[in-house]
Amino acid sequence: MTPPAIRIDDLAFRWRQSGPLCVRLEQLTLAAGTSLFLHGPSGAGKTTLLNLIGGVLLPERGRVELLGRPLGELSAAGRDAFRADHLGFIFQQFNLIPYLSVCDNVLLPCRFSRRRAARAGDPVAAAGRLLAALDLEPALAGVPAAELSGGQQQRVAAARALIGRPEIIIADEPTSALDASRQQGFIDLLLNEARAAGSTVVFVSHDQRLAGHFDEMLELGAAA
Amino acid sequence: MRSLLQLALASAWNRRLSLGLTLFAVLMASTLLLSVERVRQAARDGFAQSVSATDLVVGARTSPVQLVLYSIFHLGEATNTVSWQSYQSIAANPAVAWSVPLALGDSHRGYAVLGTTADYFTHYRYADKRPLQFAEGRPFAGLFDTVLGAEVAGRLGYRPGQQITLSHGDGGLAGLEHEDKPFTVVGILAPTGTPVDRTVHVSLPALEAIHLDWVGGAPIPGMSIAPEVVGKFDLAPKTITAFLIGLHQRAEVFRIQRKINEFADEPLLAVLPGVALDQLWQTVGVVEQALQAVSWLVLAVGLAGLMAVMLAGLNERRREMAILRSVGAGPRHILFLLVVESFLVSLFGALAGLALVSLLAVTLAGRLAAFGLAVLPLAPGAGEMQLLAAVLVCGLLVSLLPAWRAYRLSLADGLIPRL
Repeated sequence: MTPPAIRIDDLAFRWRQSGPLCVRLEQLTLAAGTSLFLHGPSGAGKTTLLNLIGGVLLPERGRVELLGRPLGELSAAGRDAFRADHLGFIFQQFNLIPYLSVCDNVLLPCRFSRRRAARAGDPVAAAGRLLAALDLEPALAGVPAAELSGGQQQRVAAARALIGRPEIIIADEPTSALDASRQQGFIDLLLNEARAAGSTVVFVSHDQRLAGHFDEMLELGAAA
Repeated sequence: MRSLLQLALASAWNRRLSLGLTLFAVLMASTLLLSVERVRQAARDGFAQSVSATDLVVGARTSPVQLVLYSIFHLGEATNTVSWQSYQSIAANPAVAWSVPLALGDSHRGYAVLGTTADYFTHYRYADKRPLQFAEGRPFAGLFDTVLGAEVAGRLGYRPGQQITLSHGDGGLAGLEHEDKPFTVVGILAPTGTPVDRTVHVSLPALEAIHLDWVGGAPIPGMSIAPEVVGKFDLAPKTITAFLIGLHQRAEVFRIQRKINEFADEPLLAVLPGVALDQLWQTVGVVEQALQAVSWLVLAVGLAGLMAVMLAGLNERRREMAILRSVGAGPRHILFLLVVESFLVSLFGALAGLALVSLLAVTLAGRLAAFGLAVLPLAPGAGEMQLLAAVLVCGLLVSLLPAWRAYRLSLADGLIPRL
């Protein structure tokens, strides 16, 4: 039996030792291949939770297990390598490195992870296929990322998160900079490609209207 | 590592204007540092080799530095003279291959007049045993012939065939001119970058001749011996100031030195010129240290600029660093990116500086001879390599603060910079 993509037990985190708890999560289990809609008001600790899942922060208490591997047992460099191998990220905005071309931006994870490069097969061809699937013209591949519109940039970011079929894709409010009609299109494209790659998706948003697209939903309460 | 390097290059290219200016600052600083080092080395070598292939410099007993100062550099006065008999008896030693007598005391418009023999032009060597060469004319042959050093001829605009008169002593007292016995310029030496350039050479008998009607440093009143009749007098020198010796066997130098220092008839001193020149250089070395200190300061300013540019750029780069972290870069990769960047700026700055210095050395080689740097090396010396390495190490050290800050920032920011 394959382990769950994400399993979180009794998680607690605070930024400062004497400060308030920023994240408090009793239990979360997410099976491989499913999609989760994570929402909550600003300040609910959504971003902090993503840093914890990404292995960039370590919890004060509790454990985060990805694909059966407890992150707390890995070294810092081990978590970096794990993130490169198994996780894809899409952020709210400023996802791309402006001086790299669209294609080079998509290929970034393959530079840091041999596994992602190997799973992509021919990374450049895979990047081209993903860009096409996400409705980006092939001519854009060589253009510096800074010259793209906001919507185009988000789709390039999605292609980057998807390349090499990572098991988990984490999207942090990727649609909040897009207008309503484009939001739907983006989510459909993202979920279709994630399903094709067999990836688990964690989608963070404060906009509850988007929840219908996802298999599961989790509400993160405001920090106490 | 290779892909990180590509990223570093792409990122640097993206900020090429500010990095280019920093590179320019490092380039200028290393150019200054290297050229000071090269000129310093050339000056030192030129100085230490003001006289070469001479085994011993001999004069009346005084301090070694003093003897070299007045006999080679024509600075200051000899405290005592050497008798012609002593000179001849030492020169006759079978171990002595050649000897050149030197008589000083007169001057021409501030330039020292050196009485010697024609052997001077064959045996005197400078730098790496280079002989003196004539730019024009020939050695002196007639009694009132003179051969000028390059600077004397150049500054005063003398040409072969022109007539000049000598002044008694250093020329400080007006009226003490040997104007009744003018000399004819018969030769001009090529530049050497040594005191030879600033010397007026005449024969020993000529010095005797112009002082025939003088006594105690002044003309004898009412007495005048015309130049045409001096040949009737005995013009053999009675005293000289110093002399140079070359030996058949270098290995004998200490034996001969001891023999001269224990010379019974007269208190004499023989010194190895290299040793005395080294001692002398140490006293004038303060200037070189000051120069070097200034160029290190310039380098410090250039590298401080590099650090400032990198620190100022960090805030703009926080998103870039967060994106890199999200695709799997660790904080150590971020550290590496910044260190590589400043290392490359220092490396290219230093190399371009070296290229510029070499280019300057080639193009200015001729003109630098006028400053006594006839032998400016074209290739970088070991000292310059050490300086280049020092520039690189300093560049790396300077990058550590911004790199450390970037490391801290990327740890604190995680995947989403909180700007």
